[in-house]
Amino acid sequence: MTRLGRDRMLEIVQPALAVQADGIHVLGFHSWGGLTRFASSEIHQNTWREDVEIRVMAVLAGGRTGVASTHAANGEAVRKAAQDAVAIARVCPPSPAFPGLAEPQEIPGKDGYDEETAQAGPSDRAAVVRRLLAGLAGDMAGAGFSETVADEVLVANSNGVSAYAATTRAGVSLMAIAPDSTGISEVLTRRVGDLDLERIASRAIGKAEHGRDPQPLAPGSYTVVLEPAASSTLMQFLAWIGFGAKAFLEDRSFLSDRMGERVCSELVTIVDDPLAPESLGLPFDFEGTPARRIALIERGVAKSVVWDRTTAKQAGLSSTGHALPPPNPEGPFPLNLLMEPGERSLEDLIASTERGLLVTRFHYSNIVNEKETVLTGMTRDGTFLIEDGKLARPVMNLRYTQNALEALSNVEAVGDTTEISTELFFGGSRAPALKIRDFKFSSATTH
Amino acid sequence: MDPFLRDLCERALDVARTAGASYADARYLAEEWESIDVQDQTVQGIDRGVTSGIGIRVIAGGAWGFAGTARLEPHEIERAARLAVDIARSGAGLLRTPVRLAEEPPRETAWSSTVIEDPFAVSLDDKLGLLFEATAIMRGVEGLAIAEASIDLWRRTSILTTSEGSRISQTITQSGAGIRALAINEREIQQRSYPNSFRGHFACSGYEHIRAMDLTGNAARIAGEAVALLSAPECPSTETTLVLDAPQIALQVHESIGHPLELDRVLGMEAAYAGTSFVSPKDRGHLRYGSDHITITADATLEGALGSFGYDDEGVEARRETLIEDGIFHRFITSRETAPQIGEDRSNGTMRASGWDVIPLIRMTNINLEPGASSLDEMVSTTDDGIFMSTNLSWSIDDKRVNFQFGTEIAWEIKKGRLGRMLRNPNYAGRTVDFWSSCDAVGGPAEWGAWGTPNCGKGQPGQTARVGHGTAPARFRNVRVGVRG
Repeated sequence: MTRLGRDRMLEIVQPALAVQADGIHVLGFHSWGGLTRFASSEIHQNTWREDVEIRVMAVLAGGRTGVASTHAANGEAVRKAAQDAVAIARVCPPSPAFPGLAEPQEIPGKDGYDEETAQAGPSDRAAVVRRLLAGLAGDMAGAGFSETVADEVLVANSNGVSAYAATTRAGVSLMAIAPDSTGISEVLTRRVGDLDLERIASRAIGKAEHGRDPQPLAPGSYTVVLEPAASSTLMQFLAWIGFGAKAFLEDRSFLSDRMGERVCSELVTIVDDPLAPESLGLPFDFEGTPARRIALIERGVAKSVVWDRTTAKQAGLSSTGHALPPPNPEGPFPLNLLMEPGERSLEDLIASTERGLLVTRFHYSNIVNEKETVLTGMTRDGTFLIEDGKLARPVMNLRYTQNALEALSNVEAVGDTTEISTELFFGGSRAPALKIRDFKFSSATTH
Repeated sequence: MDPFLRDLCERALDVARTAGASYADARYLAEEWESIDVQDQTVQGIDRGVTSGIGIRVIAGGAWGFAGTARLEPHEIERAARLAVDIARSGAGLLRTPVRLAEEPPRETAWSSTVIEDPFAVSLDDKLGLLFEATAIMRGVEGLAIAEASIDLWRRTSILTTSEGSRISQTITQSGAGIRALAINEREIQQRSYPNSFRGHFACSGYEHIRAMDLTGNAARIAGEAVALLSAPECPSTETTLVLDAPQIALQVHESIGHPLELDRVLGMEAAYAGTSFVSPKDRGHLRYGSDHITITADATLEGALGSFGYDDEGVEARRETLIEDGIFHRFITSRETAPQIGEDRSNGTMRASGWDVIPLIRMTNINLEPGASSLDEMVSTTDDGIFMSTNLSWSIDDKRVNFQFGTEIAWEIKKGRLGRMLRNPNYAGRTVDFWSSCDAVGGPAEWGAWGTPNCGKGQPGQTARVGHGTAPARFRNVRVGVRG
């Protein structure tokens, strides 16, 4: 599979740009890749896909807009999508809030494409699976995935914007499954060659090994050491309910009326940084605005939310480059979150804990109270009681019901390395381990 | 059946067989959609689109392979078919037992869902007019902060061809709409939705489903409730009798019965992502899952329900199965691959793919709590002390589907057989079998209806399925409510 490239993608969207309207904005997506899933130490789902999507927003007088899309890359289909978008815009009432289409701006350079990853085939992914499974103990089974994906994105409009990027992503996950325990390790990166498969396997297998024979533990308040995946869950949900400007402007965000105030521990800094070398983000957003690093919470103080052109116009500000594809009733969103690392190793965090819990990751978290940032969810794949600075024993999984901002206010120490993680149905974000006091567990389960 | 598209599918099967596939299916799917979002008196977005492509699934060397492409040109389809076989062979070396499919007779047939009024033919002016009228009524209620209204429509046209000889074409039209009122103060956001939360009420139906909802007739009521919730007392933290409305029962069924009875989860196929299940094949016929009031069916033939279809994506005809009868668990929802693994001869027809670019997975059809003999009035009037909760707001459940916690938008206390004060921030928690075993009443046929869940996530790459649940209100004893952070 080969890249279409900027010129070919511009050629594909040209029939849309040629349709009569006050303005035309076009997104072009081309993606291909394979995902090899395994379970019970066998490859059971082995897939590949290639897709093209052309999404057109037409603008008419008074800020009336309509959006239509097609997954056929031929001129007729693209033109029809643009005509449909115009027809939709015609019936929309005028919108004074519409900010107009972006003007061309310089897009920062970012090389996110790796040819080896883009061209990885099924035998490459199967070889990854073999290596992941090689170290499993005799009574363990492995489950997980090996994925290689390439994407091309074009954002163009009738003002002359023409931003293009090609990116790749390689991801692997191994869950080691013992008779009464599981352990998981998951890594996402730009380049398949960067995957340290032995380390990934060793972490998952080690968790499952140490997790054997878990015992029940009474729910209650505990000091917790959250590994990066669990820290990431708290951060991602905070983003979902409060880091976007639309929620902020509508007083739905926990940051509404709190900008400039201390909202959590000064040990916590959260940014959105699509340009960081390890980030999987694009160097521009879906309105064609250049991406940049934005501090959301800096040393515990609320600094900013993220803005697109519509919300920025409403507030008299400039877009921070966080628009999602139109139409977007949810407003702007930070897709490349990073919680800054601290100076303590994970081992230090555990060693400094007299009694507490080590949490590998959370499962199926959800919002209990949006504005108060109360979340609930389960622990999963390795929960351990810490006593006298050491892992004393594995425990059965617990349900947390916890105010996320309060948890970040109770941070006592921050780990020195970040890892990229994904929560169910979210994208990836990077966070370090966190040591947090008085973390509330409301009930327990049976495994 | 479009002859060009059918020929493309046939060509894919020929190429796959020539390349060494022992089984192949090629599935063309075109899905068009329309989504409208209104907030107050502004359009937040109108989105129309269509996606089409062909997914080719093969068995070669005993292993599965799949390739999907949007490029509907003969040479691209041939390339994808060969790639699917290569992919299958790449996994064969890590296979202990070759895939074996349950028998299924080949069929040449067509099926369409019932549509009285084509929802795509209704003008945007009409749709926007309805939504703007509803939001205007909501915003007329003093103290309301935000009024939202939405319509979502889908039409899926598919052709399934298999190397066993099946040629099945289907057209499925689905419609949904809803309104939401938000009241906000410095500490909380309170919301009320109608007819249901998370974008409303969905059905396998045409625009008649939306016209029957009476969005405008309910707009002032839910807006008033949202505002009133801000000053309502908080749901107490206690153990009590809990009555749930039908839409909340639908999500409770979804999370704590539907998912744990998916046989692919039970067999560990989703272990590393969404999880497994506390139920095992040896539990069939023995496990007491709930009280005698709990009978659960999987029914893809339920007219108008969101999870209905004619044939699943393996060509198995839609059917109705009893999964739990009088509280005793009997049956999983299965596929042609998984059914033989637990000694069953046939799939019960639940394999569906969300798009042409992904493989079919075991998905809920319409998983229903069969009607009982009670009514909401009777449940309330025979409860001395309890809480009635309505309309889902939040859900969470562990990876084996045992420990759950759900929140709803609103609740009312029940005192001496009557509904009393409105309560804000209601939630409840429990364990699956204990909870269903505590059920002592289920509403009758008059209060039973099919609710759509349009956002069921599963699989990698992620797929979103639209499934249904026929439910009525029900009552549960000794439930923990008011869990606080």
